[in-house]
Amino acid sequence: MTDLFVDSYPKQARVVRSAFLTAYIALGIGALFGVLQALHRTDILRLVESPTYYTILTGHGVFLVITFTIFFLVGLYQWAVTDSLGRGPVDMRLTWAWYGLMSSGTLLAAIAILAGFLDDPPTVLGSELSADVLFTFYAPLQANPIFYVGLVLFVVGTWLAGADWFRTWWSWKQENPDARIPLPTFMVLTTMIMWYISSIGVAVSILAFILPWSLGLTGSLNPTLTRTLFWYFGHPVVYFWLLPAYLLWYTVLPKLSGGRLFSDPLARVVFILFILLSTPVGIHHQYLDPGISDGFKFIVMTNTMFLLLPSFLTAFTVVASMEHGARQRGGDGYFNWLQALPWRDPAFTGMSLAGVVFAFGGFTGIVNAGMNINYLVHNSLWVPGHIHTQVGTAVALTFMAGSYWLVPQLTGNRLVGRDVALVQVVLWFVGIVFMTNSMYRGGLIGIPRRSAEPQYDFDYEIAVGSIPEIRAQLAIGGVLLFVSAMLFLVLILLTAFNDDSEPIVDGTIPPALSGPEDSPRVLDDLRVWIAIALVLVAIAYAFPLANIVSRGGLFGPDIGPFPVVVETVASVLSTTDTGMYLEALVETES
Amino acid sequence: MRTSPAKLLILIAILLVIVVELRTVLAFFDVELTVLQGIAVGIVGIALLLVWAFSPLFSESDQ
Repeated sequence: MTDLFVDSYPKQARVVRSAFLTAYIALGIGALFGVLQALHRTDILRLVESPTYYTILTGHGVFLVITFTIFFLVGLYQWAVTDSLGRGPVDMRLTWAWYGLMSSGTLLAAIAILAGFLDDPPTVLGSELSADVLFTFYAPLQANPIFYVGLVLFVVGTWLAGADWFRTWWSWKQENPDARIPLPTFMVLTTMIMWYISSIGVAVSILAFILPWSLGLTGSLNPTLTRTLFWYFGHPVVYFWLLPAYLLWYTVLPKLSGGRLFSDPLARVVFILFILLSTPVGIHHQYLDPGISDGFKFIVMTNTMFLLLPSFLTAFTVVASMEHGARQRGGDGYFNWLQALPWRDPAFTGMSLAGVVFAFGGFTGIVNAGMNINYLVHNSLWVPGHIHTQVGTAVALTFMAGSYWLVPQLTGNRLVGRDVALVQVVLWFVGIVFMTNSMYRGGLIGIPRRSAEPQYDFDYEIAVGSIPEIRAQLAIGGVLLFVSAMLFLVLILLTAFNDDSEPIVDGTIPPALSGPEDSPRVLDDLRVWIAIALVLVAIAYAFPLANIVSRGGLFGPDIGPFPVVVETVASVLSTTDTGMYLEALVETES
Repeated sequence: MRTSPAKLLILIAILLVIVVELRTVLAFFDVELTVLQGIAVGIVGIALLLVWAFSPLFSESDQ
């Protein structure tokens, strides 16, 4: 048993605890919004009016896939860099600066979103305080500028966090010039390179087009351009959520299994592949968008299919590591070794079940990525089914399970309710399967996503079961997930205050069976991978972007904002303005 | 007990998941189970698991 992280690095532990606390608050609010949605759209229990559903939907998306995941990421990565390099940041002021910037950004975006609950929202910066624009906030939906300012601050905060970790590594490198980058730090640095390359898309989209447009500084924008810039970032961001889970699967899961990582070089290759392949794939979210040629979409589909490679490598490496651990614990046979794994440990079981769901969700992702078959499920309930198996379980369940292992090391307190924690992760597993199975089945018959009123009277041609059954299954799954999330938060809260105890956790990460010395040093030459990644991005995006701009202009064919205030929408739709608006559009196009 | 409570809990969860997903898969082969039939399969499966788990052949601890 080694010293706890909190004892070795008390200042860094405080940063990690703060980041996790913010993540957990976001998880609590996001989970509440999630169950409200599940009950509302299934018409089982409606606590809000349908227009407010979109406030809840936006909050659910932003608080969970931006705030919860990324605050957990920065906390986890701060731990990983500090623990694997054996040193803290060069300057803790920078560390607190990025945490403060991210928190401020979150607060601003949250104020704009939550103002949607007000009957009479105030006017701020020239428009009503509202941000019912969903997580995918591209035009023509328009939020209050405060929302976009919040997002910008948040993203800049993550950039500074990356700079902080690079600076720490660089300082370590001066003291260890010939040493290979420790694997956890390697994972952090490669993730951040991927993030820098990809998040520039959303930064340009907001700063150059959407924010000036929402402030009234520019009269219009090109929706196809801003959508394309959003998805330039929108697909890699899923890997920004996922790679911290990978870090836990590659470093902590083998240890919890009782063994060691099977191959350090394979893990490095996987993270490099994410640098190369994450970004030049975003257009596969736009298969149904007009204004982008099919040829470009086909190229992007091919790139996307290559992303299966790191997933398969991960499945092999992690399962091999678990098998090694199980055999160290006395397991034998072709499959009997599974019984020797520490299933009573909620951290282990949660991560393992998350991995199982991730594999299943990966297959549904192939459907999304296939250009022809995507047409079947596009914008249907299938898509939230997919995202809930991936970020909603592979990531979220891994983060919760990882918390059971990390929080005691960050607080010096023993985990409260270990057996209840096991029930919690299993409950999440069952809940997500109930919910996503109904979403997939519903999506296949065309039930729409992002709708408070999914056409209850429409006569869907259902293949399995019935519509009421699908709705009930979705609601049951949503309730199970909410109960599981609350259980998790209660256990973590109790653990945080369980200060008269000693944790029973060993934070040591053992070396890999096949270490970095078995791989060429070029894997650690990050400049090579950055250069190749930029070339791939240029190949995938230069022509489509040039095409979009040449046809629609940088600031678009004079398309005005589509107001998100519901009363205004209703009045617009009820007059002939809509027809005139469409005619004007047609004239502009012609 | 043939297995530990933790493993039994996980086996029950996996059984529930299989029942939910199997119903969808079976429909592709024109075998359609109603909700009640699905629930019945689940209950029978869990009962069989419990009988197997608590049959006193040998005792084994999880850890």
